[in-house]
This record gives sequence, C-alpha cells and structure tokens, in this order.
Amino acid sequence: MFKSFLFKEITTGVKRPMIYIFFFIFTIIATIGVINDNIVFGGAIGNVLKNAPHVITMYVANMSIFGLLIATAYFNNAALRDYQNHFDEILFSTPIDKASYFFGRFFGALFLSTIPLLGVFLGFLIGSDIGPESGMINADRVGDLQLSFFINNYFLYVLPNMFVSGAIIYAVALKWKSTIISFIATIIIIIGYLVAGTFLTDISTEYLAALTDILGIRAYQIDSKYFTSIEKNTNVISASGWLFINRILWVIIGLVITISSYVSFSFVQKNKKTKKEKKVSKKDTATKIYSLPKVQSSFNFTTSKKQFISFFKINFYTILKSNTFKIMLIAGALLLVNKLLNGFDFYGVKSYPVTYKTLDFSRPVSTVFGMIMLVFFSGELVWRERSSNISGVIDGSPHSSIVLLLAKITSLIVINVVFDVFLILISIGYQLLSGYTSPDIDIYLLDFIYSGLSMYMIWSCILVFIQIIINNKYIGYFFSVILLFLFEFVIVDTLEIESYMLNLGFTPDYQYSDMNGFSAALLSKNWFSLYWILFGLLLVTIGSLLWIRGSIKGIKDRIKSAKKHFTKKHALTLITIFHLFLFTSCFVYYNTQVVNSYKSANEIEFMQVSYEKMYKKFENIPQPQFGDVTYEVDIYPEERNLLAKTHIALLNKTNEAIDVLHYSISRYYATEKWDITLKIPDSKLVFEDKELGYLIYKLDTPLQPGSKMNIVIDAVYKSKGFENKVSNLRVAKNGTFIECAYILPTIGYDENNELMDQNDRKKYNLPIRKKMARLDANDDNNIKQNYFTEGESDWVNVETIISTSNDQIAIAPGTLIKEWKANGRSYFKYKNDHSSLNFVNFMSAEYEVSRKKWNGIDIEVYYHKDHDYNIDMMLDAIEESLKYYTKNFGPYVHNQARIIEIPRYYNFAQAFPGTMPYTEGGGFTTDLSNQNDNNVIEAIIAHEMAHQYWAHQVVGANMQGATMLSESFSEYAALMVMKNRIKDDSKMKQYLNYDFEKYLKGRSAEAEKELPLYKVENQGYIHYGKGSVILYALQDYIGEQKINTALKNFLDEYKYKEPPYPTTHDFLRHLKPQVPDSLNYLITDWIKEITLYDYRLNSADYKRKDNGKYEVSMGIEAYKIKVDSLGIENKVKQRDWVDIGVYRDIEEKHLMYSKRVLITDEKMNFSFEVDTIPAKAVIDPKRLLIERVIDDNRKEF
Amino acid sequence: MELVIKNLSKTYSNGVKALDNLSLEISNGMFGLLGPNGAGKSSLMRTLATLQEADSGTMHLDDINILENPIELRKVLGYLPQEFGVYPKITAKQLLDHLAVLKGITNNKERIELVNFLLQKVNLYEKRNKSVKGFSGGMKQRIGIAQALIGNPKLIIVDEPTAGLDPGERNRFHNLLADVAEDVIIILSTHIVEDVRELCQNMAIMNQGKLICKGRPQDVIDELNDKVWQKLIERNELEDYSNQYMIISNKMVGGKPLIHVLSDIKPGVGFTLVSPTLEDVFFSKINTTREVI
Repeated sequence: MFKSFLFKEITTGVKRPMIYIFFFIFTIIATIGVINDNIVFGGAIGNVLKNAPHVITMYVANMSIFGLLIATAYFNNAALRDYQNHFDEILFSTPIDKASYFFGRFFGALFLSTIPLLGVFLGFLIGSDIGPESGMINADRVGDLQLSFFINNYFLYVLPNMFVSGAIIYAVALKWKSTIISFIATIIIIIGYLVAGTFLTDISTEYLAALTDILGIRAYQIDSKYFTSIEKNTNVISASGWLFINRILWVIIGLVITISSYVSFSFVQKNKKTKKEKKVSKKDTATKIYSLPKVQSSFNFTTSKKQFISFFKINFYTILKSNTFKIMLIAGALLLVNKLLNGFDFYGVKSYPVTYKTLDFSRPVSTVFGMIMLVFFSGELVWRERSSNISGVIDGSPHSSIVLLLAKITSLIVINVVFDVFLILISIGYQLLSGYTSPDIDIYLLDFIYSGLSMYMIWSCILVFIQIIINNKYIGYFFSVILLFLFEFVIVDTLEIESYMLNLGFTPDYQYSDMNGFSAALLSKNWFSLYWILFGLLLVTIGSLLWIRGSIKGIKDRIKSAKKHFTKKHALTLITIFHLFLFTSCFVYYNTQVVNSYKSANEIEFMQVSYEKMYKKFENIPQPQFGDVTYEVDIYPEERNLLAKTHIALLNKTNEAIDVLHYSISRYYATEKWDITLKIPDSKLVFEDKELGYLIYKLDTPLQPGSKMNIVIDAVYKSKGFENKVSNLRVAKNGTFIECAYILPTIGYDENNELMDQNDRKKYNLPIRKKMARLDANDDNNIKQNYFTEGESDWVNVETIISTSNDQIAIAPGTLIKEWKANGRSYFKYKNDHSSLNFVNFMSAEYEVSRKKWNGIDIEVYYHKDHDYNIDMMLDAIEESLKYYTKNFGPYVHNQARIIEIPRYYNFAQAFPGTMPYTEGGGFTTDLSNQNDNNVIEAIIAHEMAHQYWAHQVVGANMQGATMLSESFSEYAALMVMKNRIKDDSKMKQYLNYDFEKYLKGRSAEAEKELPLYKVENQGYIHYGKGSVILYALQDYIGEQKINTALKNFLDEYKYKEPPYPTTHDFLRHLKPQVPDSLNYLITDWIKEITLYDYRLNSADYKRKDNGKYEVSMGIEAYKIKVDSLGIENKVKQRDWVDIGVYRDIEEKHLMYSKRVLITDEKMNFSFEVDTIPAKAVIDPKRLLIERVIDDNRKEF
Repeated sequence: MELVIKNLSKTYSNGVKALDNLSLEISNGMFGLLGPNGAGKSSLMRTLATLQEADSGTMHLDDINILENPIELRKVLGYLPQEFGVYPKITAKQLLDHLAVLKGITNNKERIELVNFLLQKVNLYEKRNKSVKGFSGGMKQRIGIAQALIGNPKLIIVDEPTAGLDPGERNRFHNLLADVAEDVIIILSTHIVEDVRELCQNMAIMNQGKLICKGRPQDVIDELNDKVWQKLIERNELEDYSNQYMIISNKMVGGKPLIHVLSDIKPGVGFTLVSPTLEDVFFSKINTTREVI
C-alpha cells in the first residue's frame, strides 16, 4: 500500500506541467551561467572553470533556495490535497494504513521536489558542451564533468535540503491544514537562512553560520573559503568539515520533525476547539428596534473617495491582522537586531551606531522583506475577493475598478510602510540604548521616502498589474519573483544594459554619508523613482480595465469588458498619466543619455582593445619626464565643479634630443569625465585621436638631453543635470577628494589602459599580459621607474594653490604657507617640505581641526563635526608612530602629519606626503570604547605613517616585489608600534588572525596564480596579509632589532635616491646578515617560496614527578607543504623550528611554558617539565606559522 | 419596472451552451427561476448581475442597457450569489458598512441606521461585532441576504438563497423579500419548488440554457390538471414501466417506488389521478428524454 501511495503521488506530479517548467528554468539558468562569460556566479573567475565542481556546488546550493518554493508546493499538496478537495472523510474512512499514507505521500513529494533541481545538472552538461562549441566561451574555460560532481551534490544538497524543508512543510501543513501557513513556513526557512548569514560578518561567529544554516550553503562557504582555484576545479564536494556536521544536524532535525508529525497525525479529526461565547450582557440585547431608514444613494467623487477609504480599511486590516504579517514583522525585527548586535566592520570591531550605520543594517532588511511582502501580499490582495468568495457581491456593486485597485495598492504600500517604520523605530531604540542620544530622525525619514516608499509604490503597481494580467495567483507569484530577481540580472549582467530606464522598477542607489549626505545620486534616484512610479500608475490604469469582475474568462471576454469600462474619464486619466510619463521619460533620457552620455562596459572594452592595437607601438619611445610642479586647483563644492591648472616642467632625462611629445588622456577609460587640454609652447598638435585620447605634439625646437621646458595642463570637471549613475563621486558637495592623476595626462602609451582580464584578452586575440614586469635587477627599463609614477617622474618639488568655498577648508600636501580670502572664497597655498613623489591629493570639506605638537611636528586631525569619537586616539597613534619610526628608521621629513576624514565611499586610508585621508566609515566612527578590542585605528594610522618612510622615502622599482617594500613594511611597522604599546602576545595573535584570514581567503580568490612574497604583483592578500604574518613571525624568530636594522640600512641606502630604484633583492641583501645561519631557511621558505604547514597534536599528557614538578609529553604529527609554480601543493622534507607549549588555563590566557623545537619527522614526541598543573597543550601558541586548520593544534589535558 | 431579455446566448469555451437564445420579460414582483443543476440559471443571473459577458443578445432594465452599460445597472442592483463568502478578520457590522459605502450610501448616519436595521432584520444584531468568518453557513447566508437589500435596489437577484437555512430562517427570509418586493423586480433562482409556489407571482423553468416554461405558478400547474397519475409499484417493475409510460418522477414511499405518469387518459390498472403540483410541472418539463429520475 505504501507503494501505491508513493507511485500515485509521483504519477500525479509527473502529469502536471509544474515539474517540467521548473526543471526547464533551472536548466536554462545553469546553461546561461556556463556559456555567458559575464556571469561569475559561483566564483567562476580567473582560473576557476565555468563548470568547476565548486561552481556546480554553489549553483546547486543557491538554487535550492528557489527549490524551497517547489518543495513547498509538492509537500503542501501531498499533505492537504484530500482536505482541500473535501475527500478526506471519504478516504480516511477506507481501510488504509496510516504509515503507508503518511510516508507514501511524503516520499512521493520528496522525489518530485528533487527533480527540478536536477535541471541544474542538465544545464551544466548542456552549457559545457555548447559553450565552447558555439564559441561563446573559450574551450579552456570548461573542464571535464564527472558523474561524482552530480551524485555528491544530489546527496549532500538536493536530497537533504528537500528532505529537511519538506519535513517541516509537511508537518506544518498536516498540523494547520492551510496553504498560507505552509508558505509562511517556507518564508521562515528563508529568513532563518538570512539570519544565519549575519553570523558570517566576523570570523569569531562564523561557526554559528555553519550550524544554523538549514540549507548548508554557509557551511560549505566556510569549508571552501581557503580553496585555491586548483582546489575549486578539482575538489568534489564531500561529506566532511562543517558541511558534514551541518548535514547530519539538519537531517536529524528533519527526522525528528517527521517522526513527531507522524505520531501526532491521525485520520480522526480532532475535536475542533470551540470558543466559549462571551456572555452578552442583558443591557446590550435590549436595544431599540430599528426601522428601515430612508437612505439616499449618490454616486459622485465623494462616493468614490468613501469607497476608496472603505476598501483600503478592509484590505489593510485583513493584512495587518494576518499571521503572515505578524510573522514577517517579528522575523524582520529579529534579523535587524541580530545584525545590529553582530555587525562587525573590521577586525572584529564595531562602529558607533551613527545613523548611516544603522541605515546600512535596516534598509536591506526592509528591502528584502519588502520585496517578499510585496510579492506575497500583491497576490493575496488581488485574489482577496475571489479567495474569500465574496467577489460576486463586490464585483456587482457600483464602484469603479480603479478605486478598488488604488485602495489595494495603497494598502500594499501602507503595510510596507508600517513594516519599514517599525524597523526604523527599532534602529532608533538601539541607538538610544547604546548611548547615541541624537538619532537623526530627519535622515531616517528622508531615507525612508527616497529608498523605501518609492520602491513600495513602484513595485506595488507592477506586481499588482502582474497578478491582474496573469490571472493565476501562483503563476503570478512565479513571474513576480522572476521579474524582481532575474530581470535585473538579464538586463544588466547578460545584456549589459546599464540604463535604469530599462531596469524594471529599479533606481540608482545612493550611499548615505554623514559627511556628504545623500550625495549627487539622490537627484538621479528621485527622477528615476518618478519615472517608474508614473510607469506603475500607467500599468494600474490599464490594469483597472482588465480587472476581472465576475466570472470573466478568456482574453476575448476580458477585452470586451475592458472596452465597456473604458469611459471618457478613464481615457482622460490614461492620457494624462501617459503624457506625464512621456515627459518624464524624455527628461530622464535627455539628462542620463544625452547630457551625461556614458559608455557601456562593452564599449570601453572595445576602446581598450583599439587603443592597445593602435598605440602599443609607442610604448618605449623616449619621452621627457615630469619635473617640478605647481597645481592651481579651484573647487566649487556646491556646483560640484572643479577647475585645475597645472604648471609642470618637462625634463629630458634621456640621452637624445626629443621633438615629438606623446600623451594619453587615460581618463577616457574611466567613468569620470574630465576635460583635459594641454598647452605646450612652441609646438604643433600633429595627431589627435579624440575617440581614444591620444595626442602627439611636434616641438619647433627639440628638447635637448638634460634640458627642460614648462607646459600647462588644464583639467575641468563640470557636473550637469543628473546621471544614470554618478560618474564622479570624487568631486562632492562636502568631501571632495581627488588625486593629481585625475587632472594629468599620461606620458606616452599608458599600459594601464589595456584590458587586464586574461580571459577577456583571449576573446579579443590579445597576447597574454603580464601584470607586472618580472623581478629582474638587469631590466634596465623598469629598474629606472618606480612603481608609483611608472617612470613619469622621480623626486620632484610640489606646490599647490587650492581654493574652495568660504565654509570649507581645502587641503593639499605640504606646509600651509599662505591662507587668504578673495571673491568670497578661501585660498590656501601649500608647499612640500621635501622633494617627493608626484603623488598629490586635493581635498575640500567643512572640517573641524584638532592639533598637537610633537618635536616640532604639527599633528593634525581634520574631521566631520559629529565624528569626534576617536580624535585623541588618532593624535596619539600618530605620535606613537613618530616615536617608533624616528627611533628605528630615521628622521621624519615633513613638518606636519595630517589625518583627514573622507566620505565613506572610499573604504580605505591612503598616504600622501605628510597628508593621510582616512575614511569616515572606519576609524572615525569605530567604537573602541572596549579596550580589549583590536585597535584598528592605531594599526591603520601607524600603517599610513609608516608609508611616509616606506613609499615616500624609498620606493620600489616598477617590477614584482615592489609593494612588499611599501605595503608589507608598513604593515610590519604598524604591528611593531602596536606590539610595543600593548605588550601582549595573545592580543597580537587575536589581531593577526585577521591577517591570516586575509591571506588564506585571498589566495583562494586568486584568479591567476599565487606568487611568493618577494615577487608580489600588487596583490593585497600577499603584501598586506602574508606580509604581516611573515614579517611578524620573522621578528619573533630573529628579533625585532635585527629586522629594524636591516630595514634602516636598506632605507639609508636608497632614501630619495634617483634611479635605479631598489628591488626586493636589495632588501634581502640587507636582511641576510641579520639572520643566523640556522634560520636562513626562513627567508627561502617564507619570502622566496610559498610554504604552508600542517600540524596536529595527536596526544598530550602530563605526569606528576617525584620532585613535585610535572612532566608534559606531546605527540605531534607534522607536515610541511610547498606550493610549486603551477599551484600544486607538495609535502616536503622538514627541518623547522616550531614553538610548543602549555597553558595554565583552557581559555589560553596564560602561556606558562613554551619552547622552540626542531621538527624533522612527520611523527614526533616531545616532553618537558613544568612547575604547576597545565591545562592545555598547544603547537605554535603564538600562531606564527601559516596553517589552514589550527583547531587540531591544541588539546586539553 | 420592466426587465427585458432578448435572444441571450452564451457558450463557454468548453462548448457548453449555458444560454441558448433566451428571451424573457419580467416585471415588478417576485420571479422564480426553476431548473435542474446546470440548466443555466446561474449563468443567466451572473449575466444579469453584470458579472459575465454574453455572446449575443440584449438585456434592458427600463432604460438601462445592461450589457452595454454595466456601471449603471450596478447602482440599482442587489445581488446574492450562489456562494457567498466573507472577508477574513472583519465583523458583520464592518462588512455591511463596507458594502453600504460601495452602494453609494455616503451619509454616515443613514448608513449606520441602515446597517443596524438590516442586522436586526436578519436576526444577527447581537452578533454584529463578531468576525463573520466564524459564522455558520446559515448565518453567513443571512448576512448575504442583508447585503443584497442595501441601497434601494431596483433589481434584486438571489441565487439559491434558502439553501442551508433552517425552516424558521427560511420563513423569515420569505417575509423579508415580500416586504421589499412591491416596487422592484426580484429574481429568485432555486431548485426548491416549494419556494416558488409560495412566493412568486411569476416563474419560469430553464433547462439546457433554454426557457421551457413560463407563467404564473398556478397557471402552469393548471395545465397539468387531470393528466398526472400515480402508482405504487415494485422495484423490479420500474424498468418495464419506464419503457411503457412517460414517467415524470418516481420517489420511494415505504421502500417502494411511487411513480407519477403524464397521460391524458388513465394509463393502466392501479393508477390514480392526482392533482398536479409544481413539482410535477417541473419534472414533466425537464424530463423529456424518458429517463427515470
């Protein structure tokens, strides 16, 4: 009998079209994912194949979110079909067996719901086949598919996910016997998945994400976060790691739910709870007798208004009081609170709850939940009358359909508003509770109007229209989801159409910054919102004609009925809205496509290809360099305009006379539009490529070797109207920040304009491009350039005259030598105290300034008035850095050290000579009131201060390894400042954990291949992450002073020296004498090669000895792994010094003993003596060595 | 008041002819519409209530062309569909108030008065602040009846109104309709033959989309005077009889079939003449295929 229920369930499902539709959709999605080069979902970038097992797993895992909807449909149907058809009483009175019925249906539904996801597999098969064949992707972008990819994914994702979610939905359906509640259960599962995701924001809570994610996606993400591209291409998902634990956990939960559901399930209907009627008081019943009143029916505008209000109330209350909404409200609040409490920014540190921060948390929740509610309730509302069986009465009553429709849309909007405002209140409450006493209610309100309300209005109209047109609730849902989530994907990612005019219902985003408010994007956003709202109203006006009244079926009848309802008034409304829409479209089009035309990503790609093909031949022609420079920069913040005039010297440092000057206007390849014109005296413009930005001038008299001439460069940025996407954030109303590169042309051919991505280059038949020149001291060309200016200039003198509006302060590097007012504007003249790189920033904003002096150096912090939390800490950090650096590296050459706040669009700090912009999003708002947190402010400021030596005094030659000399050294210097202040190894370890993470995750995302540290090609994960880890470990092994001596000697040799510039070989030359022979291997293993370790503590015991001491013995398993030039990991012979030790406590606070031992074999035993009882033994207690798994390094006794 | 239906036809997409060239004139008073399931009664009513399109034909209520101008008709329409559901989470009072607004009663005081009156009339005043969703079928039906009377309707269409009502409620309902029936047209569809005989001045019988009989109830009954015969037979004789005679109905009496036969003369031994009922009319009109019902 079990069989007959099972097969009946399956055959019924197979006969219905749904299974094929979903299967087909998943197939299509996966196929397109494989054959379209622009889609990098699942991480198919660089060397990761389009059909790598990792990518397949990411697809399967993520598609199972959509699969949930399918599971809901099948399991709910299996559970409720008999009840809904009122067949239950007939069926259950027959002699069927409970287990067969229950499990037959269950497994039938389980089987059915796994089928559509198999479409992903088919998609990968098809895509891998037709992709290379049709030439849409290169053949080397796909690998061989193996059966195991599919089987493992089926048994680890498809089946368990459908089982667990199915178990929940089946149980819920049987318990409450309501489709709606089953859907709510699905939504709760999805929300649970989202909540689990918030634990990923910090490495200290990510294990929670791995466990709580019902779909197992996060677990796999954590398991695979250190995967290199080779591992992504070869590792087939298996039952191991967090995923295994997660699967076991959830399958058990699924089993428990199923079994308890089975136990409580019964064919016999339980007695329905009957509510006791409240006794009605006598007074109430003795009411007067009403007589039929004379009533007047009238039909005019007032009637429509009253009808609207009445409809609105009914529709709004039914949703407001519905369980669905209550659950959404609770779930949304939980998610937000979870985010607020766990929202780590950086190195496990949180921000003060400034308003932009809480907005960052609440807005996405409102948006995601808003979308879910809009989809769900749009269907509910459109079908409200029909599903309540009251449609006959309502449809036959004398109201205009548009009144009803507007009331429904309004209630849909208002319900979202209620939700949104609820979250805003939670945010404000959180701010107040955290001691942030002046929440910016106006900002919440404005953000709500700009980003919330407009979206609710747009999508309410669109989704209600879809429900009307489709006229089937569930297919309507399906299309709604497709439009909301996939339309943008198709338009923007696949067709590469960037205009928001075609991106249904979406508008440009702004990022709110305390400094710069809603930014220039606000104007665009509001115009696009208006555009889409009018579009929505147009749909609604049309939709009201097609609104089904009565039992109209078929297109013919709908049109017939539409014609009848198409009254004059209706026509007038339609025409009015249409014209408003047309006018807005024209205006938006004019502004975003005509006045502010932009190039698509594809067009820019083509330009890059043409540029390379046409001008690569000029790459090495001798050109004069830039010399001393005076900038005149006028910033107009209110208008967002910037005019710059650069007086710059040209120096012929070559051995020959030069009579042609080549310049590239490289800004053409960026989104910002700067007009750059050159004024070169006594010359003729002999060639001008306006399309690609290439200029050739011929000098009347050639520039002789060793001589110089002066030229002037004008650069203008003028903002006009509004743009599709703000192209130039750099020029802002409050917080302008540009670099000199924006206002200068490039000398000669600019390599940086070339297409970078190797796969793109293959597409256009361009040769493979080296990211950077090979590390080679004999490379005469590149050794003469530094990697910063790339040969355009060496050490030069810089002066800046910068002006801005009266209320702002304008800043450039150097000492402020003059300040004056003219024409109602403020002028400032800055001059660099020392020759420097031509690396200059120009900034302007309303700043408060805090100052301090140390040894004659002005320490200054320029900050936004509300962000005064950490100013003293910043001033101290500069002072601490100056103390350490002047003592260990040499003199600081500037008269000032400034930290300047910049808007949060820039997620970084940067060092210009003596002048260091630092983002408001980190540092200025970071909450370091807890002394135990990682002091990221000190770390970052010390890093930027270190750059005043490492980059600004000595800078690497333009080849591999250059950034080790600036970034890794600055990281090291910052770590030393921290270490000397806090003097606590365990806190340093806590901090360095994030550097390990940066490195290990970074190498996993490497698109090409990982290089050893001394050959780093400007990859952050290597020069920051690995650089920190290795140099920190090195100073632990050979001594801080030794490293500092090597650094100082290196600095002294190359400080402000004209070319040739130093390479990493030069540093290693200075390092070598400082390293004892016994540790020489470290330089090879850590700096010149890629080495990983894998240690395991197999056993740990202690024995009390007769002398009252304790003998500890540790059994260690040890491997050393080297990564060869192909990226393949090999175990190698070991001879390594490693720390082992014991802690007094299991919290690892007090390391009571440690010693450095020599590891030579894969299995080794060590023993030593300690005075008191140890609690925990550990290998590498300070975490100096690069290991991926460290949990197995420790054991409690 | 005059409702004139001319040559109304409607064929569903599955080929079923719901209305087949139907013409009918109805004037003030109660009009009963009889017919078996699927006869097209509900289709006709839905079309009258502007909830369904017709393929061809016209319908006029005095000056209002119903098919062309559904909006005007809705202003004077009271309609109780066959299945009447309610919004969730809404009380009886709220529901009636909402529907009163929809029917253009914009004066708040008048509306409250009216809603209270109707609630009393259908004996639900005490339950006015209870959620309608929790009402029993009969109570819901009473709310349905109340709402159909809101706003001085000129044309009231009630589809199977007494299904699910107990005899007391049914009587109350009949009285309610009779109260308002003077100046308006009430069309009542039912398959309870008794309802029509008790209430309606005029009636019609529909089958397969066609009008097969029309007139005052007593007149139609009189047509069958001296033509209806009955006999109690054995169960195994039923097939023989049905081949021999035109049986219009058979029902079981004490475990044996009691057959009614239509015949001008006495059909045979054991038959006795009975005075015809509306039921006999009904069955004789619809049962033309000589099937035993």
